[in-house]
Amino acid sequence: MTDPLHYPDVVQMAVPLFVAAVLFELGWIVWRGRGGRYETRDALTSLVLGAGSVAEGILLGFVAWGVFMWLWTLTPLDLGTSIWVVAACFVLDDLRYYWVHRFGHRIRWVWASHVNHHSSQHYNLTTALRQTWTGTFTLMMIVRAPLVLLGFHPAMVLFVGGLNLIYQFWIHTEAIDKLPKWFETVMNTPSHHRVHHGRNPRYLDANYAGVFIVWDKLFGTFVPELDGEKPDYGLVRNLGTFNPLRVVFHEWIGLFRDVVQPGLTLRQRLNYAFAPPGYSHDGSRDTSEGIKAKHLVRNPSDSGTPGFN
Amino acid sequence: MPLHILLLLVVGGISAITLLLHLLGKSRLAFLTVEDARSAWHRHFPDDDIQDVTVAQNGHAALVHTAQGPGLLWSFGADTVARHLHDFDLIETPDHLRVIFHDFTAPRVSLHLTETERPLWQELMAPT
Repeated sequence: MTDPLHYPDVVQMAVPLFVAAVLFELGWIVWRGRGGRYETRDALTSLVLGAGSVAEGILLGFVAWGVFMWLWTLTPLDLGTSIWVVAACFVLDDLRYYWVHRFGHRIRWVWASHVNHHSSQHYNLTTALRQTWTGTFTLMMIVRAPLVLLGFHPAMVLFVGGLNLIYQFWIHTEAIDKLPKWFETVMNTPSHHRVHHGRNPRYLDANYAGVFIVWDKLFGTFVPELDGEKPDYGLVRNLGTFNPLRVVFHEWIGLFRDVVQPGLTLRQRLNYAFAPPGYSHDGSRDTSEGIKAKHLVRNPSDSGTPGFN
Repeated sequence: MPLHILLLLVVGGISAITLLLHLLGKSRLAFLTVEDARSAWHRHFPDDDIQDVTVAQNGHAALVHTAQGPGLLWSFGADTVARHLHDFDLIETPDHLRVIFHDFTAPRVSLHLTETERPLWQELMAPT
């Protein structure tokens, strides 16, 4: 017997909007001569990664769907499908997103999937589409399990997740400076998310929010965009390739090479897989904490300022 | 959305945006001066102490000598990428020098140098 509840695949439906918005942003930048930068191969890589991510969803979406439907059979709770339930699901799913995203930056196993989203040295609407192909393998779908067990139907959970992703599309732009204060206070905005994409020591591991920036303020990870410090986009160690396959799989390959190298203890091997990115058993690499500490040695006056508390 | 419509939108959208970007001149490589190269190197390796910078005449690559060892900086689209010259092979071809890094994240770079630059760069890049 099939479950009758059905919501549209809003991410697929938004594809024409994504294309139109990229063209609009590009036109705006060309017309005004400011508001961001585009580069052909960088944008092409981002777009191919976006297409691949949609394909991955079509090919492997059944895995998450199967797990959620199995959980749905276990739970005695069913909150129904009223608009208030959908709204509550949206808010709670955004909290879920905050934590998955935070894990994505603090656990290398999850970072290996998420890193490609940060691999562009540009920040424009195509960067938003530079999405993972390997999210299923991180098993982060389990963070959605409490929602299903609480009585939110799996179809609704995936629907609001799609809305969350669409919201985050428009904040990947330099064309919008800062929005009204009330909006910046509650919502994730281009300004807040530019900080998240910055490789400046000050901006590392900040602003994980999807839709509501209040989660970062609540959990102590909020850093405002400072007028005097423009975000420098990309990775701490930038990639020297536009090849989509290298972009998608480079961190997984690095992780497995580190884990299987000879002469390590089991704990060191586990740390290479699950400790924060930048962990090394011999101290030859820097985690974000190490990068911030080194920055403060070079710039002691930054101590105590946002991002260095 | 039917799959064939989605496919058409994706392929058409990617092709149109890429073509438009190229026609708008967005495929140009970053041009480096000595100061640009110095600044870009510090962006990639803020702790390095730069001792000397040699920029290729075409402005698309620079050899950077630092207290931490030699390195190569090169134009990567409109931006730059840098790597220390620790583990690499140098292959000479009729029109360029190819640097093969043993690095999955930056596999190779082609250096287009003049006839006079080429032996100098080979010497500067040689392991000491």
